[in-house]
Amino acid sequence: MPDTARSGRYSVFAIAREALRQHKGWNRAWASPEPRDRYKVIVVGAGGHGLATAYYLGKNFGITDVAVLDKGWLGGGNTGRNTTIIRSNYLQDPSAAIYDKALKLYEGLSQDLNYNVMFSPRGLIMLAQTEHEVRGYKRTVYANNLQGVSTEWIDAQRLKELVPIINIDGPRYPVLGGLYQERGGTARHDAVAWGYARACSDMGMHIIQNCEVTGVETEGGQVRAVNTSKGRIGCEKLAMVVAGHSSQLAEMAGFRLPIESVALQALVSEPIKPCMDVVVMANTVHGYLSQSDKGEMVIGGGTDHFNNFTQRGSWHHVEETVRALVETFPMIGRLKMLRQWGGIVDMTGDRSPILSTTPVGGVFVNCGWGTGGFKAIPGSGWAMAELVAKGRPGPLAADFGLDRFREGRFIDESVAAGVAH
Amino acid sequence: MLILTCPHCGIQAEETELHNGGEAHLKRVGPDGSDEEFEGYMFARRNPRGVHLERWRHAYGCGKWFIAARCTVTLQVFGTYAAQTTTPPDHIVQAVRAARPDWNPTEEGASE
Amino acid sequence: MAEHLARISPVTDLGMIALRGDLAAIADAAGMAAPDRTGIATDGPRSLAWMSPDEALLILPAPQTPEAVEALTLALDGQHALVADVSDARAVFDVIGPGAADVIAKLAPVDAAAMPQGHLRRTRMAQVATAIWRIEGGFRVIGFRSTGDYLGLILRNAAIAGSGLAPR
Ligand SMILES: Cc1cc2nc3c(=O)[nH]c(=O)nc-3n(C[C@H](O)[C@H](O)[C@H](O)COP(=O)(O)OP(=O)(O)OC[C@H]3O[C@@H](n4cnc5c(N)ncnc54)[C@H](O)[C@@H]3O)c2cc1C
Ligand SMILES: [Zn+2]
Repeated sequence: MPDTARSGRYSVFAIAREALRQHKGWNRAWASPEPRDRYKVIVVGAGGHGLATAYYLGKNFGITDVAVLDKGWLGGGNTGRNTTIIRSNYLQDPSAAIYDKALKLYEGLSQDLNYNVMFSPRGLIMLAQTEHEVRGYKRTVYANNLQGVSTEWIDAQRLKELVPIINIDGPRYPVLGGLYQERGGTARHDAVAWGYARACSDMGMHIIQNCEVTGVETEGGQVRAVNTSKGRIGCEKLAMVVAGHSSQLAEMAGFRLPIESVALQALVSEPIKPCMDVVVMANTVHGYLSQSDKGEMVIGGGTDHFNNFTQRGSWHHVEETVRALVETFPMIGRLKMLRQWGGIVDMTGDRSPILSTTPVGGVFVNCGWGTGGFKAIPGSGWAMAELVAKGRPGPLAADFGLDRFREGRFIDESVAAGVAH
Repeated sequence: MLILTCPHCGIQAEETELHNGGEAHLKRVGPDGSDEEFEGYMFARRNPRGVHLERWRHAYGCGKWFIAARCTVTLQVFGTYAAQTTTPPDHIVQAVRAARPDWNPTEEGASE
Repeated sequence: MAEHLARISPVTDLGMIALRGDLAAIADAAGMAAPDRTGIATDGPRSLAWMSPDEALLILPAPQTPEAVEALTLALDGQHALVADVSDARAVFDVIGPGAADVIAKLAPVDAAAMPQGHLRRTRMAQVATAIWRIEGGFRVIGFRSTGDYLGLILRNAAIAGSGLAPR
């Protein structure tokens, strides 16, 4: 495999051309080079956030002397394990800004990357099933309107029209209404990672898989290199974008993070005919549901409540989640479940992410997206690229620094992030 | 499914009967603490991939707090002990070392 | 027609007194033998149960409760102890029948069949806190009155005929 190979532009003409020659002319979507001795920027973690960081470093700042290292395969972390809910109806202003930036970028991402990420703005509803939730979501609607994020409060009747399979008179928690974001939806998780990876590779960046970072070399408080399973690689700047493994990377560089890693799991049913064309989240009973393009019902719930790196999840959470959802969607009681899996998510105390400089010069962290960072990938990459390129945060990242934990300036999203998604 | 033996009542309790209370042996910071010390106490966590000393409450049982030594990767449990200690007792250190000879308990106690 | 796994009957004539403090002193004050750890010691119509290292529960016929509270309060006077009549806070069910252990095992993370006589197991059943011990022909289950309806419902549901755990 050559050091840099262009993937070639995807288009209807390319398909026609390849159809005529038995599809033998397609190039690999990205190159798999051996690492060079050094790069200007090393990004650790080829999940969505790491790849998007690299992409916007090239696109917005012209920095292409970049390597993205991953200990496994690209997109094999949480990016390839999540339930792909995309929305921007958060409560606090800094969150609304970065999540809505991400949503806007998602809206044009397939064109921008020349790669179909299957973004599907099918609409998203968060059910209000207690009076408390009704008040909470109305408050969020008001906040969103002030932030310029379009969301609305809908009553139970309208909700039933949008989601015919829902049982609004549930036995424990009747549906009282919902917070509706019409622009919300889903995208294909792998395609987001693959699309960014291809675009990065096309810019000449190196994406190096099966390359585990095992140490961070510093000199005079400044980063010099990383040690990896493929040897020492020098760098001027280092971006740590490794989600559930952030504490381990930070420890290599000699600092601690306000992060705890826990397992979050999801499951999917056998595929069925289209029955629900919106995403529905039920935060009180702790479950959420959407239907994939293949027809599977995609289901998620809560996290394990203890530090955990097992990428498995546990049976009783499946039981709890399914029990909750069957109450609200009685028809899914008849479905067989096909697969279940887990990912290790990085939780912060205020349920908001960290985009920050660190005690080590040239080292930057992007983590803490916890149970809900897929939706943020483009906005996070955009903001992180600016942070890495300039060495200080721009407006989108400014409030998400590590110093907020010392200063008590939390961005409390524990309500908006009520259920893991 | 995680199963821990509560040292107070001897019950082998499973995950759903217990409540996790996070990293053990943190040193409380008093009113004179600096912002950095408070930040460390409140938020900075070891979050290790490996042996973890952590607080648990036997919530659906005797209601008491205890500490478990557990591996966060394999879920192997090395032992449990009363919460009224500032460092892991010898038999726990021994049990961990039997499986992880390199493990160093002093680093555990020294969480800022 | 198959039989229900067990008969679920509410018990309404029990008094319960929560006692906190030194367990030996409490047993002394109650005039009963101190229960072993996680044990329940019965003496005539009264039982004294170990609830935690510093908590016991005295279970007795309801009419005897006010008098017992007074006597215990007096006996523990001057000590660091608590005596509280919690009878009205409790819901009690007896689960009696050949399939009683199956009913318990379906709802609680407990090996009910192996549960010894004289042992009290605090645990959860489905989503609520309970305590369980063996009685003649089955088990007695106590929970909170606020979740009593739920507890009765899940117990009856778990006892439905033909729903035994052994392979058919
Ligand atoms: C079950 C589940 C459901 C979810 N549902 C949603 C949802 O519906 N909507 C939503 O917005 N978010 C959701 N999330 C959260 C979302 O998946 C994550 O926030 C997001 O994918 C994080 O992306 P990332 O790039 O930061 O991390 P990852 O995709 O995990 O990438 C990190 C990469 O770092 C690599 N790495 C780690 N250590 C090293 C090392 N030492 N050296 C080299 N590489 C290393 C890993 O191999 C991994 O590929 C869900 C998560 C899970 C687990
Ligand atoms: Zn206990």
